[in-house]
Amino acid sequence: MTEEEIIASGLLELYVTGSLSQEEILEVEAAMAQYPSVKKEVAQIEASLIKLSEATAGNVSPKVWERIIEFTQGVRPLSTARKRNWGSVTGWAAALLFFVGLAFMLKQNSDLKSKLRTVNTKNMVLQEKTSITEAQLTQANDLLEIVRSKDFNAISLPGNVDVAPTAYATVYYNKDENIAYIDAKGLPKPPEGKVYQVWSLIMDPLTPRSMGVLEGFEAADTAFFKVENVPSPEAFGITLEPEGGSESPTLTQLYTLGMVSP
Amino acid sequence: MDQPDALILEMQNGNHAAFSKIYEMYSRAIYGVVITVVRDQDLTEEVVQDVFIKVWKNSNSYTPSKGRFYTWLLNIARNTAIDMTRSKAYKNSAKNLTTENFVDIIAGHDTMSGKTDAIGLKKYVAALKPMCIQIIELLYFKGYTQAETAKTLATPLGTIKTRARNCIGDLRKMLLNE
Repeated sequence: MTEEEIIASGLLELYVTGSLSQEEILEVEAAMAQYPSVKKEVAQIEASLIKLSEATAGNVSPKVWERIIEFTQGVRPLSTARKRNWGSVTGWAAALLFFVGLAFMLKQNSDLKSKLRTVNTKNMVLQEKTSITEAQLTQANDLLEIVRSKDFNAISLPGNVDVAPTAYATVYYNKDENIAYIDAKGLPKPPEGKVYQVWSLIMDPLTPRSMGVLEGFEAADTAFFKVENVPSPEAFGITLEPEGGSESPTLTQLYTLGMVSP
Repeated sequence: MDQPDALILEMQNGNHAAFSKIYEMYSRAIYGVVITVVRDQDLTEEVVQDVFIKVWKNSNSYTPSKGRFYTWLLNIARNTAIDMTRSKAYKNSAKNLTTENFVDIIAGHDTMSGKTDAIGLKKYVAALKPMCIQIIELLYFKGYTQAETAKTLATPLGTIKTRARNCIGDLRKMLLNE
């Protein structure tokens, strides 16, 4: 609307009487800010209406102002600053509550996640242990099978009284397949730089033949060793030898010795 | 007349003297509006008193961005007056209310105690077209919306603006000698 159009529209009269919609009020105020003539027109409309109602009033008793003074003097106008906007306060409180709740839930979530991680780790450890135990059980069962088998002959190797009176070993020997298992659990841990070497012996004349060294004695918990291609012996002996083993047994270090029963 | 923004601001800051000046400027106009609604002098005095106590206490709720200060006052006055007419005290007062409008009220004033131009003013206002008296009574004194006015007068909405323009134009010619 142009300046003239808005003045002629009747909007300004209704603006002063307070009869316009919010949308129209904004329209009028924009025009007032833009055109001084519109602002002046509003002031004139207001002046005429004020004059009309003053005529309607006639005389106002001075008692009215006296009573107003009684109620207003010493009473300060309400400050808008002091007025709490409860809607806003409630809004902020709700927002705060929401974020506290959210933080709480995030914390719980992260706690649960970390618990889950711990549980998962424990689970993995347990699974590992289980699989190790299972493997050990299988191994033990296999050994038990061997020990119980009629194909294997158990040969006890008692300790050499001079060298290692408390040591002992057992050889499980399968004559037909030339396989032997050596149970070295009864042997003390070999000193550093030394290994146990197993020998098969023919007694007359004394002919020792190496069956091999017990490698990884410390790692093998069960201290159970398998030896294949065992030559037909009359006896088994275990000596302590320097690392790598020897050509012939060091008889002063003979730990155990046992005869194969015919 | 530009509205006294500086005075309004002082009143908002708690200056009672500024409030007193505001009362001087607007109290008669407000009284005229209230008596048109309430139509009883004692009750009108009571309402006007309440209106200005509210104005003082709540002056900070007015900001120039909300429109004219007088329109703000007018809304408080009309609302307080209408609340009074709904009160038990008002209904029990059993006033013999006639259907008189602002023109009848002006005509009823004792011209001897009025201002010197009172007689002339009475003559001018009486010359307003009946249609204009209705429009001004509803929009200005009673605070009807455009839609309510259109419905009461069984007139199209667009006509209300045109009539308001023309009727207040007549008023300005009579009262402001424009």
